[in-house]
Amino acid sequence: MIELAEVTKAYYGAKGQDPLVAVNGVSLTIQDGEFLAIVGPSGCGKTTLLNLVAGFEAPTQGRVELDQEAITRPGPERAVVFQQPSLLPWMTVAENIAFGVMLKAGRVGVDPHQLAHMVHMMGLDGFESHRPYQLSGGMQQRVAIARALMTEPRILLMDEPFGALDAQTRSDMQRFLLELWKVNRPTVLFVTHDVEEAVLLGDRVVVMTARPGQIALDIVIDLPRPRQWDLVLSHEFNQYKRRILQVLRPDRKSSRIG
Amino acid sequence: MGYLMPGDDEGIDAMAEASLPAAPRIRRRHLWVPWLVALITLFLWWLVTALKLFPPVALPSPGAVVHQLVVTATIGYSGSTLWADIGASVGRITVGFVAAVIVGVPIGFWMASNRVIFAAVDPLLQFLRPIPPLAYIPVMVIWFGTGELGKTVLIFFCTIPIIIISAMSGVKNVQETRLRVAQVFGATPLQQFRYVVLPSALPEIFTGMRVGIGVAWTCLVAAEMIAAQSGLGSMIETAGGELQISVVFVGILFIGLIGYLMEFIIRTIEHRMVPWKGKA
Repeated sequence: MIELAEVTKAYYGAKGQDPLVAVNGVSLTIQDGEFLAIVGPSGCGKTTLLNLVAGFEAPTQGRVELDQEAITRPGPERAVVFQQPSLLPWMTVAENIAFGVMLKAGRVGVDPHQLAHMVHMMGLDGFESHRPYQLSGGMQQRVAIARALMTEPRILLMDEPFGALDAQTRSDMQRFLLELWKVNRPTVLFVTHDVEEAVLLGDRVVVMTARPGQIALDIVIDLPRPRQWDLVLSHEFNQYKRRILQVLRPDRKSSRIG
Repeated sequence: MGYLMPGDDEGIDAMAEASLPAAPRIRRRHLWVPWLVALITLFLWWLVTALKLFPPVALPSPGAVVHQLVVTATIGYSGSTLWADIGASVGRITVGFVAAVIVGVPIGFWMASNRVIFAAVDPLLQFLRPIPPLAYIPVMVIWFGTGELGKTVLIFFCTIPIIIISAMSGVKNVQETRLRVAQVFGATPLQQFRYVVLPSALPEIFTGMRVGIGVAWTCLVAAEMIAAQSGLGSMIETAGGELQISVVFVGILFIGLIGYLMEFIIRTIEHRMVPWKGKA
């Protein structure tokens, strides 16, 4: 169980300047095996929240805990899939996927069967000895996800993992992620700015508002799984979407687009 | 042709393979250009000397230089053959340059990771950097004489600031995300260095080495002209004094060729070791 209690994160700039409050008094509990999507506009502190859980940053105030123990540093039970390209270009696809296992158990500790299975599952067959820069964006992100899953983490932290992908690849990857999640049931913290993606994937969606980042809505998505792509056309789906959008764009003025 | 469904990659691949023409041939015509330029230059040089526009003491003909090359390579000039002089110069630069890399890279890494070390070394580095290495030559002669040690030390000191700065900025250019990836997986500081920091810094270190070898070569030849009994610089200095202009030309030719060759060697190693440079 991940627990955030009254968490505030501020960044201090030059002397005399007001600190920038990225996250303001956020309390949030994530159950084991839960798929939680955090949605909000850019600059709402959703990545900061993920960084706090990952242990990259420490809260200015409040507590960030995993199983009642304070998170002070990154750890292998909390794998991260980053928004930016994060593969190591000096390693092949196979070496990148095995990176986490290799650090822990050495090169000999990498189980070739597990590696081959992961490569196959991610549809990367035949690309094992390619370098990351020889792959398309979608394939690179699949390698990054494979790398995170290879260590069989209890918790998967995903920071807009499909943000840079085109619509087609993106929906393939979403389907793919749900397939994987169904098997191992890790706790997933999925940050996105795409409302539709959040509702489609999450058991629960937390909506954050722009600076200082606060939770504006915490809503359980009671839609049956497995979810099909045509779910996005259903009435229930659109009601969830509408409720979230109403929080994100409360006044009529800011919702006018033409 | 039917519609492709999501995930129908095999269909796409099969279609592409069926209709793909043979790989297009890359036009390599431009590769002739440098050779053509060299040939034209050689011809103009020959023409100018054949027309006797300059006295042969000032500008030797291509034929005279080739003849002199054979003579210096076999019989030698002023007591030593061309190969002995090349060997002396290349030996000095190799020792001085390799020492500068071996010492400079760790200093650069250390400065990048420790603020105290940075504060201690950086002012010295910034002070030394703008000084032309030639200004050290008198100091070198007084301290170490005209032997091998002085010139090796000179090369060491004129190359090391470049190497240190490139190693330091290489480390500072490490992408935060890549470092975090290693930290997530519980990498030890040593593992973070080995698998993330070092490879990230390599491209910049190689750039520094390529700049550094040029600077080292320039200041070695200059030092040999002022204080040495052997080496290419010494050879052209002696020949200049004796108005043996074709020997000077042979020397210049080889200084240029060797400088080019050394840069080429480093570039080749770079391609091998840092194939991702500029791509990621």
